[in-house]
Amino acid sequence: MDTKTRQVLSELQDGFKLETRPFKRIANQVGCSEEEVLEIIKRSREEGLIRRIGAAVRPGHLGHTANALVVWQVAEDRIDEVGAALAEMREISHCYERECPPNWPYNLFTMIHARSEEELDQLIADIFQRFSLGQYKVLRTVKELKKTSMRYFEDAAK
Amino acid sequence: MDEKDREILQMLQGSFPLDSEPYRVIGDKLWLDEVSVISRIARMIESGAIRYLGPFFDSRKLGYKGCLAAMHVVPEQVESAAAAMDQFSEITHNYLRDGKPNLWFTVIAPTQERRDEIFATIKKATGVDEIMIFPSKKFFKVKVDLD
Repeated sequence: MDTKTRQVLSELQDGFKLETRPFKRIANQVGCSEEEVLEIIKRSREEGLIRRIGAAVRPGHLGHTANALVVWQVAEDRIDEVGAALAEMREISHCYERECPPNWPYNLFTMIHARSEEELDQLIADIFQRFSLGQYKVLRTVKELKKTSMRYFEDAAK
Repeated sequence: MDEKDREILQMLQGSFPLDSEPYRVIGDKLWLDEVSVISRIARMIESGAIRYLGPFFDSRKLGYKGCLAAMHVVPEQVESAAAAMDQFSEITHNYLRDGKPNLWFTVIAPTQERRDEIFATIKKATGVDEIMIFPSKKFFKVKVDLD
């Protein structure tokens, strides 16, 4: 990654400023043209360094009040089938197969969001039955202690 | 939040216009002027509905290693554990959950050594002797509008 790209991406990680020409501000800070800034952003997205550009919304504000990390024990030969099917569900925001420590039998991790605790219980019961899964564990969210964005490029030339 | 706010939010969750005047582009599509778009977004940020507006980086592609981790603390320890984690910018998410373990967090570090260093500091600060790690093996979904 060249220095200019690093500088632009580093400046961008605080988010876009709410002003008519947000990219012009970055250009002025880095010392290049507005077009160059837009070009760098587009290229970074094509290369996958940026996975998306837009807003992060707090789940609670969309009417989802009950949520839980639900972990499932899924046989290795069924992980693709079950993982893909769960990924289709709109109530599920995150779905990963994970490597687990020896004392932890649950290999499929899902974050499930519902409008109430009852709806959440129902969703979990439905999934359990639909796929005839083995054990599972529900870890309800009690409190969000920290939610921030990672600071990258801290060593970028300022 | 009214209907127009929701429409703006919808657009912001799709793809932000890469244009020299992005808020004007959004306004043109929603029959709003640029200033209204900007002030509506500002209000949603202030109310907490929008947590962040900008690019989301792929930490792996940038050479960082991300990992989900968990440990168990007794209720009286939650606050001091949260404080110990707060000092690390590499710990981006931390949730108290019911069940065991009850503290679930994500660490994004440039190297394995740095991650081990962070874990060692947390263990020392909390007296917890085990931190479980769950590296991702296969990715099925991250839904963007709940990110």
